[in-house]
Amino acid sequence: MMCPPSILRVRIHNRRRHFGLWLPLFLLWPVVLVLGLVLWPLLLICAAALWPSGWGRPLLLGGPILFSLLCALRGLKVEVNQPSEQVLISFQ
Amino acid sequence: MTDNQRRILEMLAEKKISIDEAERLLAVIGQPVAGETGASDTTQVSKSLPKYLRVVVTPGPDQDTQAKAEQVNIRVPLALIRAGMKFTAFIPQDKANRVNEALQSKGLDFDVRNLGKEGVEELIEALRDLEVNVDSNEGKVRIYAE
Repeated sequence: MMCPPSILRVRIHNRRRHFGLWLPLFLLWPVVLVLGLVLWPLLLICAAALWPSGWGRPLLLGGPILFSLLCALRGLKVEVNQPSEQVLISFQ
Repeated sequence: MTDNQRRILEMLAEKKISIDEAERLLAVIGQPVAGETGASDTTQVSKSLPKYLRVVVTPGPDQDTQAKAEQVNIRVPLALIRAGMKFTAFIPQDKANRVNEALQSKGLDFDVRNLGKEGVEELIEALRDLEVNVDSNEGKVRIYAE
């Protein structure tokens, strides 16, 4: 089963600034779920209205596809170290 | 245990190869030979599909470059490719036709809406053998799937 990332870690260290952030994304998912449920009927209406133009289907599929993209971010890690600067972005 | 596996373990015990190298060699000899693939082999292959694309840049031995150079370590989940491919569903039919026409005019007989799951899996499976090594005085670049 695919799970969205639960923690976003950002760390920036340079001569002037030391910035570290652990963002607990898992706290956001219930909010996003509620928002999704509230907006779902509106999305259905928009998709039905846009169906003749060809954009209805993409609009309808957009949610699940974006969710799978979000889930796929788990494990992404970008780390750049220089003698004077360090940057880390990691989805866990 | 086959002779090859035993030999690899012996080389590891004698410290001729590292644990990572032994793991890789064992994975390579564990792969089915082309044409021998049965149902159980297929599941074995799908289990050993790479999960991440790694890009590692390390500075070279030069003292000057080491003082300035960047160390880069990027790990991209290959699931992003699978998810990204699903975005082809966003392309409306008329736009997809235009893209296909443009591709055909360049000699590519290809349907952007027909990028199925199997094609993506095949692509990811092919990435298992990908390895790019660039070695210079300024640094080392390594791109591989794991």
